Amino acid sequence: MLKMTDVSKVFRTELVETHALSDFSLTIDEGEFVTITGPSGCGKTTFLNIAGLLETHTSGEYLLDGTDVLSLNDYQRAKLRNQKIGFIFQSFNLMPDLNLFDNIDVPLRYRGMKSAERKERIEAALESVGLLARKKHVPSQLSGGQQQRIAIARALVGEPLFLLADEPTGNLDSNTAQGVLELLQEINEAGTTIIMVTHDQELASRSKRNIHILDGRISSPALTTVSSEPQAAAASI
Amino acid sequence: MIEAGPILRAMTRNKLGVILITLQIAFTMTVVINAIFIINERSSLMARPSGLDEANMFYISSVGFGDDYNGPVTVADDLAMLRQLPGVENATVTNAIPVSGSGSNSGVRLSDDESAAAAFAAYYRVDEQAIDTMDLDLIAGRNFNTGDIQWREPGQDLLRQELVISRALGERLFPDRPLNDVLGETIYIAGLQPQTVIGVVNQLQGPWPTNSMVELSMLQPMPSVGGRSTYLIRTEPGERDRLMAEVEEMLVSTNENRIVRGLMSLEQTREESYRIDSAMSTVLWVVISTLIFITCMGIVGLAVFGINRRRKQIGTRRALGATRSEILSYFMTENFLVTAIGVFLGAVLTIGFSIVLTSSFNMPTMAWYYTPIGMLALIVIGQIAVLGPSSGAARTEPAIATRSV
Ligand SMILES: Nc1ncnc2c1ncn2[C@@H]1O[C@H](COP(=O)(O)OP(=O)(O)OP(=O)(O)O)[C@@H](O)[C@H]1O
Ligand SMILES: [Mg+2]
Repeated sequence: MLKMTDVSKVFRTELVETHALSDFSLTIDEGEFVTITGPSGCGKTTFLNIAGLLETHTSGEYLLDGTDVLSLNDYQRAKLRNQKIGFIFQSFNLMPDLNLFDNIDVPLRYRGMKSAERKERIEAALESVGLLARKKHVPSQLSGGQQQRIAIARALVGEPLFLLADEPTGNLDSNTAQGVLELLQEINEAGTTIIMVTHDQELASRSKRNIHILDGRISSPALTTVSSEPQAAAASI
Repeated sequence: MIEAGPILRAMTRNKLGVILITLQIAFTMTVVINAIFIINERSSLMARPSGLDEANMFYISSVGFGDDYNGPVTVADDLAMLRQLPGVENATVTNAIPVSGSGSNSGVRLSDDESAAAAFAAYYRVDEQAIDTMDLDLIAGRNFNTGDIQWREPGQDLLRQELVISRALGERLFPDRPLNDVLGETIYIAGLQPQTVIGVVNQLQGPWPTNSMVELSMLQPMPSVGGRSTYLIRTEPGERDRLMAEVEEMLVSTNENRIVRGLMSLEQTREESYRIDSAMSTVLWVVISTLIFITCMGIVGLAVFGINRRRKQIGTRRALGATRSEILSYFMTENFLVTAIGVFLGAVLTIGFSIVLTSSFNMPTMAWYYTPIGMLALIVIGQIAVLGPSSGAARTEPAIATRSV
């Protein structure tokens, strides 16, 4: 579903060249829950941005669902993001001036969906994160955990191929974070692929598959540790 | 426009900026539309023809002095000389010049009862060459003939009874009557013999261009040969400027008992008479462009502020699948909605203000199409103003969504 071969990303400014990713090769299959770890500045966000078509890579090949993304123009990349990818951000990135309903509506409008179908989907998404009753509220009226649930609902409402999450619990206290992680776990069990950047080593070591990045390179084998008892590991995430 | 609903709902959470710019647009529209209406009114006044072939005409005055000055002979000699100058089409002598701002009028009545209602009409006292010299269009009756002309020295009684009137005067005095029917009618002017209408010219403005009765005028066959005589001269096309110098020179050199003054083309005269009107138009244009400029700055300022405030939102929208043109259209739509509210408010103000102008300054009523055209124009101007900032917003990188804090 997602296949990178020798992908590199170089940021060039007038003074320095930063090799944010070097010779990155990996394959992620449908239904996986992959955690990404590594020290600050190692290239986690860069990897996620390239995987999510927010940035283009400098060299190498990235096939998304069989499509070589380097051949796509800006418009096609936007359409692909809209249809195949759901994003969850560390600081939620909700539109502060829109109520929850309208927030979840944002990606659906870019898909040109009819209003009746949008309404149905949005309400189902709100229901699934337990916040349907608050649909007229604006984000500032919610707690951080609730805001992240809305962001998750927004990422899921378009039924994407996979979810990309960059430290989704980074701004939450541990109890709230646990709730959000459980929600992501449920989503993954229901079949959605999730790629999640985290700083939580413990969480990572318990996950089915962890990719550790050091200086823009994958430091552990991409095939990673498969836990002996998948069922138990999944439940503990 | 797909996002009009959420945009409007989002706008209600940032009211102040929107309200201020909306008021500014409404105010600008009110002033601009009414100012343009005033300018158009003025310039259509200024554009009315006088009835004369102005481009090829000029005039000059001769003022005699001393006992040796012989008015009748001088005027006869001058006219004869002027008429045979190469390049001169014709010349006449008159007491006043159309559009010049100075002349005389008298009350015109249909009975000799001086308490009857009168129309005030400008009069030109001229010889039989006047209609040809001025290039007037005689639409009924006949011109004066040589025998009709009474060369008149100051104080001399007026004897002649023939009169050529403008069509507007004919229509005022004899409403609903065909102009041919008016020929032979008698009209009364205080201090003169009863007068008989012998001809009608299509148009001849009086000397006061802003007067509402400017079209009421008449020609009387009684040129003055007293101290001051004004010659009105029509030249062949292109000969005017050369002849102006030549004629002045000739008049100065042929008679020592007069001074020559007031040499002017009719075009110069028109320009001077309408100077205040054109100055006013210029001032209004400056006001209009300044207001529009300031409003555009306001629109651009609000747009740039709103875009910079929402950089991360824009990046997030891009990440969620907005194409560049969808971001562009988001901000164009936002501006459209703000401007649309502004112009609807502006339409109410514009019409209200115009009613005040009409009732308190006796202005004509503004034509209905001014307001919709103004609304449309401001919306277009607003869209153009916000195009730059919006295309800037459309270039926002989607990576802003994950990179910014
Ligand atoms: N736009 C950019 N221009 C230049 N260098 C950049 C740019 N974006 C990222 N980098 C550099 O690329 C490297 C990888 O950055 P990245 O954001 O991927 O790190 P990260 O692993 O997400 O770090 P953190 O855990 O702190 O979020 C860093 O050295 C960073 O400075
Ligand atoms: Mg990062």
